[in-house]
Amino acid sequence: MTDISDPGIRNRTTPDGDNAELTQGKKVRRYTADLSATGEPALWAFGGALAIGILLISSFLFMVFWNGITTFWPKPVAVVTLEDGTVLAGEPTRNERFRPGTAILNAMSEEQRAEVEANGGYATRTLYKTANFDLYGDDFRWIPDYTVTQTSYPPDFYTFERQEWGVFIGRVTGLVIDDQPMAYDPQVMRREQREARQRFNEIRRLERGPIGRINHRLEQERLAIRRAQLRHGADSAEYEAAVAEGNARIQELQARFGEIQSQVAAIRALDQRNRVQLEEIGGRSIEPPLSQIVRYYAANDLSLLDKAGIYFSRWGEFLSSEPREANTQGGVLPAIFGTVAMTMLMVVFVAPFGVITALYLREYAKQGRLVSIVRISVNNLAGVPSIVYGVFGLGFFAYTMGVTIDQLFYPERLPTPTFGTGGILWASLTLALLTVPVVIVASEEALAAVPRSMREGSLACGASKWQTIRYVVLPKALPGIMTGLILAMARGAGEVAPLMLVGVVKLAPALPVDGFWPFIHLERSFMHLGFHIFDVGFQSRNSEAGKPMVFVTTLLLLGLIVAMNSTAIIIRNRLKRKYASSHF
Amino acid sequence: MNVAASIPTRPEFEPPAYHVREGREGVALDIRNFNLWYGKAQALHGVSLGIQKGMVTAMIGPSGCGKSTLLRSLNRMNDLIDDLSIDGDINVGGFNIYGSGVDVIALRKRMGMVFQKPNPFAMSIYDNVIYPLRVDGVTKKSILDETCERALRSAALWDEVKDRLKESALGMSGGQQQRLCIARGIASDPEVLLMDEPCSALDPIATAKIEELIGALKGHYTIVIVTHNMQQAARVSDNTAFMYLGRLIEYGDTETIFTRPKKAQTQSYITGQFG
Ligand SMILES: Nc1ncnc2c1ncn2[C@@H]1O[C@H](COP(=O)(O)OP(=O)(O)OP(=O)(O)O)[C@@H](O)[C@H]1O
Ligand SMILES: [Mg+2]
Repeated sequence: MTDISDPGIRNRTTPDGDNAELTQGKKVRRYTADLSATGEPALWAFGGALAIGILLISSFLFMVFWNGITTFWPKPVAVVTLEDGTVLAGEPTRNERFRPGTAILNAMSEEQRAEVEANGGYATRTLYKTANFDLYGDDFRWIPDYTVTQTSYPPDFYTFERQEWGVFIGRVTGLVIDDQPMAYDPQVMRREQREARQRFNEIRRLERGPIGRINHRLEQERLAIRRAQLRHGADSAEYEAAVAEGNARIQELQARFGEIQSQVAAIRALDQRNRVQLEEIGGRSIEPPLSQIVRYYAANDLSLLDKAGIYFSRWGEFLSSEPREANTQGGVLPAIFGTVAMTMLMVVFVAPFGVITALYLREYAKQGRLVSIVRISVNNLAGVPSIVYGVFGLGFFAYTMGVTIDQLFYPERLPTPTFGTGGILWASLTLALLTVPVVIVASEEALAAVPRSMREGSLACGASKWQTIRYVVLPKALPGIMTGLILAMARGAGEVAPLMLVGVVKLAPALPVDGFWPFIHLERSFMHLGFHIFDVGFQSRNSEAGKPMVFVTTLLLLGLIVAMNSTAIIIRNRLKRKYASSHF
Repeated sequence: MNVAASIPTRPEFEPPAYHVREGREGVALDIRNFNLWYGKAQALHGVSLGIQKGMVTAMIGPSGCGKSTLLRSLNRMNDLIDDLSIDGDINVGGFNIYGSGVDVIALRKRMGMVFQKPNPFAMSIYDNVIYPLRVDGVTKKSILDETCERALRSAALWDEVKDRLKESALGMSGGQQQRLCIARGIASDPEVLLMDEPCSALDPIATAKIEELIGALKGHYTIVIVTHNMQQAARVSDNTAFMYLGRLIEYGDTETIFTRPKKAQTQSYITGQFG
């Protein structure tokens, strides 16, 4: 390339100029800026990094989605024979490459070692879900693939989901109906299992309903006696009257309690007479009552329709029932309920606080240094780690406010705390505190965006300041305020760390809403999907068993947050459309 | 279009608490030696002006001369501005609106105001029109309905919007929005209508409609209109005030101001030599 010394030529950029150069047959060096001057490399680097980040996140989301969606699909049971003659049955769960150690390599045969070497020192192994935790002491086993001599899928292998001890994989050898042993008959089994489950649910219903009510009333009676003691003293006549009266009622209740209890015992006894004989692949057998069998199927003998049926029935159980087996089985209904209720309560608390603060800062406070300081502090609050809020919530709400409430209103229950410990009320207040900066900032912006001309129009009509805010400013700012609430909701629904301190539990004994007065019990601890994920995945006795549950629960939590947010977004867009502006 | 026939009469709700005393005969707004400062900058210098009852008074003058400031002083809209100071009186019906103990809200209820840019609220057309009544505490539906219709008829808008009263006012055209604002300004049947360049955002047809409207409303309301359009001032107004650099230069009936102005400044402004 020839260097052009005349700068005048270099600067010619018109097409005509270029053509003129070309027709003259000269080589033209076009003007190009230095790379660093255009900023393009930086643009590409950041753009690329961002693209990779988004790709990683979306592939993670896809993985969660895929794993979550497929978890409940029934898997076949493989019976594998190993070279040492061991036979085992299990669901092949996943497959991975591993590098065998020297001890393992030495134990291998010649050709196996050669194969491993050909694979660069790697071999493959498969994780089988062998289940039968009560017999084996574990649920899963890694089997190196080279040790497997034979794999088959016999149609007589069943997968049993049990009420306790998790899954059982094995054959059915017989039935015991009404204490009479008989041969296995699929139809009888089906019918009897269904009946047994009905009995099981009946016991549940009795425990929940009548027994729960009696327990509740017993508790009320005891509290009444204690209240009389606290109010009038232990040797007053009133106390003695209360004791006499209370004890009479307690006895009556206990009699009723005994009646129902014997009813339950009768059903239980009946249950014990109907059993199924199961045999695992190694020949050991168990004989659980039929009522313990939640679901069973011949894993290798299923039509597509059967599989779909099992799949949806599992989803149904997951969404509509309570957890069992340390949360690794069963459903998550209490956690769904807890998450939604806590988030809604949080919005109920955060909306008025956030909006009123923003109104004050933007409309009433004299804009000066103090207001600036407040505003900066609010913004900085958003950066405080959430666990700090948890500590504050526990210390202030539960241990200060809650304990005071207990002393004032529930002295008869002490030392058992009522409000003086974590609960859904304190949890939602803590989260409201955590998310209030988002709402304040968004609301302030929305209020500031209301045109001055609108306010003046209203004031010129003879409206007072509050009327102007109430009728003109707030409606106009509402979509913006809603955006803030949506952001707050998204943040609050996914937050787990502070909740662990202020009321989330692994297994809540009762929902915060039930049939006993006052029906809504905000002092109760609750379950939360986010904490459920943490607990099942990382806190349970064998995390492998909880793994599928982690994916499904994550999927559910994501779905729930998306659902709550889209509802809010739809409402906001409705509002926006209602006030849609046109231009002229 | 017979607008005059549909001029609203006062609706039967209680008059605002502000007490009206009759002042100098024929003068609705009596501005006396009025000075105004934004911070340290003086925007109005000793303006004295008697705005006549039932007539249209136009205020003209080059940009920044204080027309809007004066207009906004009439219903104390300037109160919203921090660091504002005033001196002098403005008497409405013989009552100094800058005197002590004046109920500003009641004052504003007696004066409708139309702004340069249409500023309908984010609510339905109906709610926009009856807004002054609603903030006044009127809830009776029959009164509200009646007022809405009369105000919209007076603003020559009724036929266009009568089927969409419940729709958002923000979905109307600019000209319609401005007429809606006029309807809102006259809904509570005020005594005075203040208009700050009401046609500056409108096309000639919408402008003509509004001018026609002003002509029809004249007599019933005292109208003060700020305008940059000389022809408009000449067409619609009875009296014209010419302002320059915060001072009232000349005030008189429109015909005299436009044909035989006394001051050279007025002469050169209306002939378009500056401004
Ligand atoms: N809020 C305010 N703060 C400070 N100064 C102001 C304010 N509003 C107006 N002014 C000043 O007061 C003077 C008069 O302004 P005003 O708006 O009354 O002019 P105007 O005659 O209405 O002009 P235009 O025809 O452009 O609307 C101008 O110099 C302007 O800069
Ligand atoms: Mg102006």
